[in-house]
Amino acid sequence: MKKLIYGIAGVVILGIAGALIYKALNSSLVYFILPNEYAAHPDQYKNRRIRLGGLVEAGSVKYDDKNLQLAFEITDSIKTYPVTHVGAPPELFKEGTGIVVEGHFEGQTFKSDQLLIKHSEVYKPPVDGQPIDIKMLKDTLQ
Amino acid sequence: MDLSLGQLGMASLWLAFALAIYAIFAGVMGALKRDARLQTSARFAAVAVFLALTTAIGIMETALLSNDFSVKYVAEHSRLASPTWVKVVTLWSALEGSVLFWGWLLTGYTALLAITAPNNVLRPWALSIMQMVQLFFISVVTFIANPFIVMAVPPLDGPGANPLLQNHWMMAVHPVLLYLGYVGLTVPFSYAMAALITRRPGIEWMTQTRTWTLVGWGFLSAGIIAGGWWSYEVLGWGGYWAWDPVENVSFMPWLTATAFIHSVQVQERRRMLKSWNVMLIVLTFSLSILGTFLIRSGVVSSVHAFGDGPVGPFFLGFFILVALSAFGLVAWRWDQVRDNAELDAAISREGSYLAGNVLFLAMAFAVLLGTLFPLIVEAISGNKVTVGAPFFNQVSIPIWLLIFLLMGIGPLLPWRKAEEQSLKKNLLFLLMGALLSAGLAFILGIHRVYPLLTFALAGFNLVSLGLLIGGAVVPRARLSGRNVLLVFKQYAFESKRRFGSMIVHFGVIVIALGVMASSAYRVDQQMRIDYGSSAQFQGYELKAVGPYTYPELSILQSGTLTEQDVSHISIGAKVEVWRGSKLLKVLNPRINRFLGRPEQPVPTPSVLYTPWHDIYLNISGELNADSTSVTLRVVQSPLVTWIWLGGLIVVLGTAYALSPSRRRLRETHELRGSAQA
Repeated sequence: MKKLIYGIAGVVILGIAGALIYKALNSSLVYFILPNEYAAHPDQYKNRRIRLGGLVEAGSVKYDDKNLQLAFEITDSIKTYPVTHVGAPPELFKEGTGIVVEGHFEGQTFKSDQLLIKHSEVYKPPVDGQPIDIKMLKDTLQ
Repeated sequence: MDLSLGQLGMASLWLAFALAIYAIFAGVMGALKRDARLQTSARFAAVAVFLALTTAIGIMETALLSNDFSVKYVAEHSRLASPTWVKVVTLWSALEGSVLFWGWLLTGYTALLAITAPNNVLRPWALSIMQMVQLFFISVVTFIANPFIVMAVPPLDGPGANPLLQNHWMMAVHPVLLYLGYVGLTVPFSYAMAALITRRPGIEWMTQTRTWTLVGWGFLSAGIIAGGWWSYEVLGWGGYWAWDPVENVSFMPWLTATAFIHSVQVQERRRMLKSWNVMLIVLTFSLSILGTFLIRSGVVSSVHAFGDGPVGPFFLGFFILVALSAFGLVAWRWDQVRDNAELDAAISREGSYLAGNVLFLAMAFAVLLGTLFPLIVEAISGNKVTVGAPFFNQVSIPIWLLIFLLMGIGPLLPWRKAEEQSLKKNLLFLLMGALLSAGLAFILGIHRVYPLLTFALAGFNLVSLGLLIGGAVVPRARLSGRNVLLVFKQYAFESKRRFGSMIVHFGVIVIALGVMASSAYRVDQQMRIDYGSSAQFQGYELKAVGPYTYPELSILQSGTLTEQDVSHISIGAKVEVWRGSKLLKVLNPRINRFLGRPEQPVPTPSVLYTPWHDIYLNISGELNADSTSVTLRVVQSPLVTWIWLGGLIVVLGTAYALSPSRRRLRETHELRGSAQA
C-alpha cells in the first residue's frame, strides 16, 4: 500500500515536471536560419525569437551615434533583410563580415538585441559574381 | 645525438602508458588471486605512473618556459612575449595540454590513494578501476591528442594562448579547480565499483571515500563559481551564467554529486538507498566524461570557442563504456544492492533527503535535456536550434525554490519519524522567519514573485540554521550550566561535519540571494560619453576623462615598440565613477589586442565592486587612441558580489567539515580496531 502511494506520487510529480519541461522547452527554442529560409516560411517563425545568420551587405551600414542606433542589411546572397540593432557596432563589424543577430522580425525588419561577429578561417566571402555556397555559409556561421 | 624535449616527453608518455597497463594487470590479477605481492606491485606501479606523467608535465613546462617551438603544442599555443604566468598555465589552456593535465591530476590522486588507502578487500579493485580511468587519459594524450609532437620546421614564434583565456588570471585557477573536482569524484566511483565487484555494497565504500567525495565536491563547487566569476570579468555582458553548454556540463555532475552527498547519509544511518547511491556516483562520473565529450567535440555550439579536437569520439566511446559496464555491474549485483529497509515516514530526515535527491536529479535531467535538445532536433528535422536561457530558468528556478524549502526543513527533522509537536513548533518559527524577511523585502521595494519567494526562503533557512544551532547548544548549556557561547564554540569544534554543513548551507543562501537580485534587478544600458563630459547612471556620475592605453600613449605613438616588448596592447577609456561629490574609483574599460592573435580583440570590462551593487563598464563598439568619445555598456547588478562571497563560504564550510576532529580520529581508531579484530 505504502509503495503504491509513493509510486503514484512519483508518477504524478514526474508527469507535472515533464509537462513543465515540455512547455518551457517548446517556448525557448531559438531557430538558427538564413534570410532565404525565413523568406520561404515566414509564418513558421512568426513572433518567435530567432538567430539570423548572414553577411553584412556592402554599403548598407548606418550608425546613429547619438542614439546608438545601428542599421544595416543582412544577406545570404539570395535574400536580403534590413536589421536594426540598439548599440554600437562591435570591433571587426565590417561590410561582408559574417554575423549572427538574435531577435525577431517586425514586418520585414529584423530587430536585433544581440550581435555576434562570426569569424572563420574556413569561410571566405566570395568574389563578385560567384554564387555563395549556402550550406557552407550556414555551417560556418553556426 | 641530442634528444629534443618533444622526444623526451613522448618517451615519458609511453613509459606512463606501459606502466599503467602493467598496473592494471597486476592490480586485477592481485585482486583475483588475492596475491598480496601483486597488489603491492600494482600500488608501486601507481606511484611510478604518477612519476612518469610528472616528468611529462615537467618537460612540457620546460618547453613552454624555454620557448621551444619545436614542440607542436608550444608552437601553437605559446608566444615569446607572453608573461611567465601565461606560459606556465598554457599547459592547460588548450586541448592536448588540458587532457595531459587532467590525466596527471588523476595519476596523482591514484598514487596518493595507493599510498594512503587502508588495506582492505576494496582497495585492490578500487585502485584498478582508478588505473583503468587513468589509462584512458594516458592513451588519449599518447595516441590521439599528443602534445609532444615535434615540428619538422619550428616557427620562430607562436600565436600565444587563446586571448579570452590569457586575458584573466582566473584561467590559471578555474580549470584546475574543475579538474580536481572531477578527479576527486572518480575515487568514490572507483570504490563503488569495487564494492559491487566484491559483493560488499554496505557503507564501507562510502565512509572510506567520504573525504575524497567532499574534497571533489568542494573543488567542483569552487570551480563552477570561479568559472562564473571569470565569465563576469572577461566576457563583457555583465553576467556570469548563460546556460551555455560549457557551463551546463560542469553543473550536471555537480547536481548529481550534491544529491549523492546527501543520500549517502541515508544509507549510513538507515542502510537504505544502496542501489540509488551507486547509481548516483556512476551518473556523476559518467556525466563528467559526457560533458568533456560534448564540449571538446564541437557537437554542441558554444560561445566559448575552445578548439574542437580529434578526441570527441574517444570520450564518447569511453562514456558509453563506463555507463554500460557500470550500470551493467549494478544490474548484475542487483540482489546485493536491493533495499530491505523501508521508509518509515515521508516526514523524516531521510524522507526530505530523498525528496531533495529527486529534485536535484530532475534538475540535472532538465539541464541535460536542454543541452542535448539541439542535437535531437537537428537529427530529426535538420533544423539548427539553440535552447535559450528562458527554458533553463523556467525549469530550474521552481526546483531550486523547492530545494531551499527542503534545505530549511530537512536538517531539523529527526531520522525515522518526526514527532508532530516539535515539528509544529519548528514550522511556526520557520514560517515567521519567512514572513518577516519577505515583508522586509516587500518594504524595500521587491514586489515580484520569485524574488519575494527567494527572500522568504532565505529567512526560512536562516531561522532553520538558528534552530539547529540553538537545539544543539541550549540544552547542553542548560545541563552543564556553562556559558552558551562557550558551549557553542565547543559544539562547532566537536561536530565539524555537522557545523561545516551548516556553513555550506549558509553560503548557499548567500549565493541564492546574489543570483536572484543580480538577475531580476539588473540594469543594462548603452551610452556614449564624450571625453571631458559625464553621464548619469542609477545615482552615479560617470565621467569619461580621456583615453586609457597600455603601454602609455607616448610609447604607442613613438612607433618604437616591438612585438617582443609587450604581449598585448590595450586601448580604452578612463572613466571616473562619482557618487555625489565623492570619487569612488577610476575604471579603465578597454579592448585588449594580443599581438599573437590580433584578429581576436577582447573587450575587457572594468568593475567597481561594492557589497550592494556593482558598476560594470565595458567598451561597446570601436575605440581608437584618438577617439573623442567612448560608447559604453553599463551594467548595474545588485548583490552580485554575494555570489562570489557565498562561493567562498561554501568552500570554507566544506574545508571546515573536512578538518580533522577529535571525534573522527576516535572513530578511525575504532574502525581500525574492529577491522583488526
